[in-house]
Amino acid sequence: MTANAPEKKTFWQWLATIDRRILYLVMCLVVVIPLIAMLRSTVEVTSPVQDVFNAIESLAVHQKPLLVSVDFDPTSRAEMYPMLTAILRHAFARRVKVVELGIWQTGFGLAQRALNETATEYGMKYGEDYVFLGFKVGVDAVILGMGENIKKTFPVDARKIPLDSSPMMSSIRKLSDFGLIVSISAGTPGYQDWLLYAQARYHVRTAAGTTAVSAADAYPYLGSGQLTGLLAGMKGAAEYEALDAQHGFKQASTLASTAMPALSYAHIAIIILVIIGNIGFFASRRRK
Amino acid sequence: MQRQIPLTIVLVMGIVMMVQFFIPHPISRSLFELVNKWARLIGVFALILGAGSLIFYHLTKIQRKAKGWGFSIVALTSLAFMTVVGWLAGPRSMGNPAALYQVIYANVQVPLGASMFAILAFYIVSASYRAFRARNREATILLVAAFLVMLGSVPLGKDIWDHFPKISDMLLKIPNMAAKRGITFGIGLAGTGVALRIILGIERGWLGGGK
Repeated sequence: MTANAPEKKTFWQWLATIDRRILYLVMCLVVVIPLIAMLRSTVEVTSPVQDVFNAIESLAVHQKPLLVSVDFDPTSRAEMYPMLTAILRHAFARRVKVVELGIWQTGFGLAQRALNETATEYGMKYGEDYVFLGFKVGVDAVILGMGENIKKTFPVDARKIPLDSSPMMSSIRKLSDFGLIVSISAGTPGYQDWLLYAQARYHVRTAAGTTAVSAADAYPYLGSGQLTGLLAGMKGAAEYEALDAQHGFKQASTLASTAMPALSYAHIAIIILVIIGNIGFFASRRRK
Repeated sequence: MQRQIPLTIVLVMGIVMMVQFFIPHPISRSLFELVNKWARLIGVFALILGAGSLIFYHLTKIQRKAKGWGFSIVALTSLAFMTVVGWLAGPRSMGNPAALYQVIYANVQVPLGASMFAILAFYIVSASYRAFRARNREATILLVAAFLVMLGSVPLGKDIWDHFPKISDMLLKIPNMAAKRGITFGIGLAGTGVALRIILGIERGWLGGGK
């Protein structure tokens, strides 16, 4: 009987093999408590986010329209939606005309909701200040088609209104008429497709918002100047919200900013747990 | 003949589209627009093919009572329900947030999708705790780099030590960028090679049949 009894773990072995339910509980607490306690933290605006902000500011000066591509779906809503609303709020606050579309069909509803929500806050009129093109199958073919002729690619918008009858679309015929493209992208297809076809072929400035995990992939494009700016994950969105608030835009969203303390503590918790795991691992190995 | 026709189409269209890119003439542009239109139309047929495969896969699973066949019933019922709701609402409902189609999207798909992704946080903490061990020099470098980038990516990192964001930025902009550029160049060159092999008919795997 005693031979089959499970060997009692030492403290160091326990440290190296903590039950996953304890880890889940720790993660749950470090995320939930800061959200319930409504903790706040200050974010410092990084240069890639400031560059996106400046690019939209320049659109207002040069009266150029903005194209926003909603390339994410509900799974990455928490990270991407605050970016989308922060950018739309900035554009509408500066009276920049916005055309929105999506190359992910499951992002259609979120794109529409963000546009309706922010346009209503600023009293923007559909067809005069903003247009929602919706989704069309084809990704690269759609981008290339828009590069040649938007109205041939999207004869009608998402509301099935012919683009010819939209006042603001009378001066927007192809991609090169836009001053900036912002792709809020959670994966593929996404900002890389806009870079490959819209930026490289039609020379339209392109910026991106990505999930935090895929931000590292975007750095080569940022370094080469192909990306005008970058919003990396929820922190990028929080930085943009901070810029909106600094400039006094009404209804500046705090979706991402309120999540920053929870995000910070979750990162710290992971680091501490990894250190604990390593201490347990090396201590128990030494004792053997 | 069955193989010669698609191979000829790929050869001709591949060369024509490559040449077209460098000729900014109106004829060349209208050809490009036409081909682009075809590509979008073919994309729509791919959607039909996708839906067909999905239905066929789940029907087979239900017929054979394979493991998890109950979920296949849920998948097919949801597919049929959303198709009917969307069809009945008509295309104009796409712009109306109050339409049933949009209400279901906002109240079912959005929270379900967000919940699925949120679960990842728990798996990440468990996986990092178990897998991130400084077993050798390479693993230790990776571990330290990960800590520095993580600390530099959250506001608390700056509160602990204001050099964390700078170090994180440096790691992303120098070693990360160098490695990513190398990988991207490799992918680009390999992609060009594969494209040429397909256009010239050397690579024929896309024809199917396994031969």
